Amino acid sequence: MQDWLGIPAIPLRLGGLVLLALLLGACSGLGLGSRRAAPSAGLAASNRQEPALSGDGRLLASLIEQDGRLRMMLQEQNSGRLLPLRHWRGHTPHGSPALSWNGRYLAGLVQQGSQRQVVVDDRLSGRLWRLPLAGGGDPQRLSLAPDGQRLAVEVLRNGKRQVQVFALDGLLEPDLPGGSSLLGGP
Amino acid sequence: MMPMPLSLLLALAMAVAGCLPPQARPMLPINRRLEQNGSGREPALAGRWLALISGRDGREQVQLLDLEQGLLRPLPGLNRADAQPLSVSVDARGERLALVRQLGGRTELLLYRRSQGLLLQLPVEPAGVPRRVQLRADGRQLAVEVSRNGLWQVDLLNLP
Repeated sequence: MQDWLGIPAIPLRLGGLVLLALLLGACSGLGLGSRRAAPSAGLAASNRQEPALSGDGRLLASLIEQDGRLRMMLQEQNSGRLLPLRHWRGHTPHGSPALSWNGRYLAGLVQQGSQRQVVVDDRLSGRLWRLPLAGGGDPQRLSLAPDGQRLAVEVLRNGKRQVQVFALDGLLEPDLPGGSSLLGGP
Repeated sequence: MMPMPLSLLLALAMAVAGCLPPQARPMLPINRRLEQNGSGREPALAGRWLALISGRDGREQVQLLDLEQGLLRPLPGLNRADAQPLSVSVDARGERLALVRQLGGRTELLLYRRSQGLLLQLPVEPAGVPRRVQLRADGRQLAVEVSRNGLWQVDLLNLP
């Protein structure tokens, strides 16, 4: 039981009691830390989906339903302040948000005509990378590695769902833990 | 007509390549490995790890792939033949996995610790039905998409 939920190794009998207390605590919702709703950012109650946290936990991206379409939203987790996303206007519905460690990169799906496209918003440089996928297919979901050096995409091709992994080194600079904290907004 | 010098051809090719849109480079050995595993969905990257839901013949399970070594890592106690995984996420150490699955008509939010093969059900409070989960890269917080009172909401859960 060492280190599971922060409990060090202890003699068996006492350990059993502690484990039992932990399990009871988990059942009552008390043993696993605090739960809270995501900050509302002053928006009226609406559907909110596909949350994605930055590695440092400072930023939360999600999709919010407005006028029947899902739009990308980025906010500071503590204050709830909304951050501007100038590249994401239009091209809805958006999908599958993913953030890097410090929130430098925000990846997701946008609608481009009849097709969905993978994009990565470099919030530090202001550049938007549109990433055509070798081999084609319709991207359904994605995951950006926290350091921004890999991308995994669920692709629908010939009726089959397949996950493909892509290297982004050489394209994106790494966004590493303890990196720039100047990405809260303008 | 004079043949075009090789150096001019090379310069032309480089100029054309420079005009092409940037490409994400497929990691071919990894992708071949994934294709061998059958269908795949719900990818989650962190550190050297890729967690996903992989299926063959209609049966799906959570898998964890070490991208550095190209090997699947065992997840004892996580997958059940009678459960349907819906969403999965992994932390950057590959130690904690968060999972949403359906089992016996219920939808569960779970946290798995790989080194000890322990699986713990997490409460959803107020009551709701979880659908998607994302584990923060340091493993200290979960973001969960929950259906509650006819609305999709986002819950944040701090982990010790």
